[in-house]
Amino acid sequence: MTINKLEDLRQRKEKILLGGGEKRIASQHEKGKLTARERISLLFDEGTFVELDAFIKHRCVNFGMEKVDAPGEGVVTGYGQVDGRLVYAYAQDFTVVGGSLGEMHAKKICKVQDMALKMGAPIIGLNDSGGARIQEGVDALSGYGHIFYRNTISSGVIPQITAIMGPCAGGAVYSPALTDFIFMVDKTSQMFITGPQVIKTVTGEEVSAEELGGAMTHNKISGVAHFVSANDEACIAEIRRLISFLPSNNMETSPIFETDDDINKILPELDEIVPENPNKPYDMKNIIQHIADDGDFMEVQQYYAQNMITGYIRINGQTVGVIANQPKVLAGCLDINASDKAGRFIRTCDCFNIPVLNIVDVPGFLPGTTQEYGGIIRHGAKMLYAYSEATVPKITLIVRKAYGGAYIGMCNKELGSDIVLAWPTAEIAVMGPEGAANIIFKNDISNSDDPQTTRAEKIADYKSEFATPYKAAERGFVDDVIEPSSTRPRLVDALNMLASKQETRPPKKHGNVPL
Amino acid sequence: MKKFNITVNGVSYEVEVEEIKDGASPAPRPAVTSAPAPVAKPAAKPAAKPAPKSAAAAPAGATNVDSPMPGNIWKVLVKEGEEVQEGQVLIILEAMKMENEIVAPSAGVVATIHVSEGASVNGGDILVSLK
Repeated sequence: MTINKLEDLRQRKEKILLGGGEKRIASQHEKGKLTARERISLLFDEGTFVELDAFIKHRCVNFGMEKVDAPGEGVVTGYGQVDGRLVYAYAQDFTVVGGSLGEMHAKKICKVQDMALKMGAPIIGLNDSGGARIQEGVDALSGYGHIFYRNTISSGVIPQITAIMGPCAGGAVYSPALTDFIFMVDKTSQMFITGPQVIKTVTGEEVSAEELGGAMTHNKISGVAHFVSANDEACIAEIRRLISFLPSNNMETSPIFETDDDINKILPELDEIVPENPNKPYDMKNIIQHIADDGDFMEVQQYYAQNMITGYIRINGQTVGVIANQPKVLAGCLDINASDKAGRFIRTCDCFNIPVLNIVDVPGFLPGTTQEYGGIIRHGAKMLYAYSEATVPKITLIVRKAYGGAYIGMCNKELGSDIVLAWPTAEIAVMGPEGAANIIFKNDISNSDDPQTTRAEKIADYKSEFATPYKAAERGFVDDVIEPSSTRPRLVDALNMLASKQETRPPKKHGNVPL
Repeated sequence: MKKFNITVNGVSYEVEVEEIKDGASPAPRPAVTSAPAPVAKPAAKPAAKPAPKSAAAAPAGATNVDSPMPGNIWKVLVKEGEEVQEGQVLIILEAMKMENEIVAPSAGVVATIHVSEGASVNGGDILVSLK
């Protein structure tokens, strides 16, 4: 081979590696953002990234685009290793035509999507794009369509993770929305369907881009995003951490992480954690952290519907999805947002063979017209559906209140919980003592000379008789009542026992989950 | 002439306020139901000030702490004018058979407490305004 041809290749590659050029790279850095290539190199184990399609060029000749050179077509695609495991990725390059998406840009993304699906490996999208490349017209729209379609076909087969690391507006938001997890970088990322300008014209509302679609908006208010990070580096580190909890595809299980944390550890702290007075709140996260290997808990949607906690822990090295009520927020009751959050999380776990652990302290559903008009019936049904449908090992731990429909909603025996454990503090009943006593002993109370005292007596009777785990245990709805301190070894044991669980469902195209 | 209802330390005052243009002679006419209200001082400056004190609205620029759900105010743990830290418990709301701690979302000074102990509130009602 002549030196010239080698030299030519090197020069071509060098140019592509520089993306939109030094000036634009500097401007990217000024905004506190890394470039697509810097992000890619942080995401993968050192030296493992292999780029594909670096030479791809757009074919647009409209509006002077024929003169525009777009190195790499504004997106870096390829594969590499994350903790030694195969992972695919694409990173939009804002320095090249604003990372805008045209026909060939989309083709590059679709190629790695197809490969990730075929090889059964996770795919990570690092989004930083001005949106559709307007000059390319319907070709750009076609590109989005192709990506959405592949997102959907891959759903439930391989983990799909998206990070929003810049603007993401209009149709572009729907690829992330179709994936399993969305990360957002605080202050530098925004997602919205219609931007502040359009909103002002149409409704007259004045709202900043950050307020409308910033990271905290979607993590706290809309529930669109699952994670928020302070900067690009932290975001990518969290993505790597999340991948460690997930299997590569739906035919595998999550990697086991050996732990030095004693699996037979007795935790006397747990005996004290639930307050004597059932009306006192406490922090459920303490229980989760005590149970988890090394106290390591990766919370998902930490800021959204905080009355419901979802996230990943490991027990004896095995990934477990935790769904738990938070008595500290909204008394831990179920409402529309909590049901949506939990329903989605349970289905994510079930897709990827991750056992679920349900920690129950739920007083009921949140009353009110807002909830009823908002369709709590339809939303609450998602939890029932998701739990019943799930075939992964399901363990339910009732630590305190488990009342009425909400008790079923948190996966009781009948929804297919394989093991239901209860602490002695559990109150499993059709409703709370006060309400129940008022109905059952209505006549006794109204006929009494001293209704107040009679009522209090009846409530106390009901409490000692029915607000316990023992009525449910008598029927076999609870498999065992355990000492809280022994929870960790009991869960380790249950997970071991359930490892070989096989459960099949009748053949169907797909169920009809209430949406 | 504008009328305001002002509650000071639990006592309700009805106050009329007139905006004084430059050069116009002051016309102090506090129409008071029970006791003279402090805001209706004669020769007061353009009297927009008392408005935010009215029960429904909160002072501009204040952080409002809303009730997260319907319930009863069980305890009010802070006083107006008191400095509070982020995360400090302001009010205990009894709802869903739980003593729910309503905490300060940020550090500040308690500007207005909109509720009293025993009151029942709806979700979204303003409980406390911080400034």
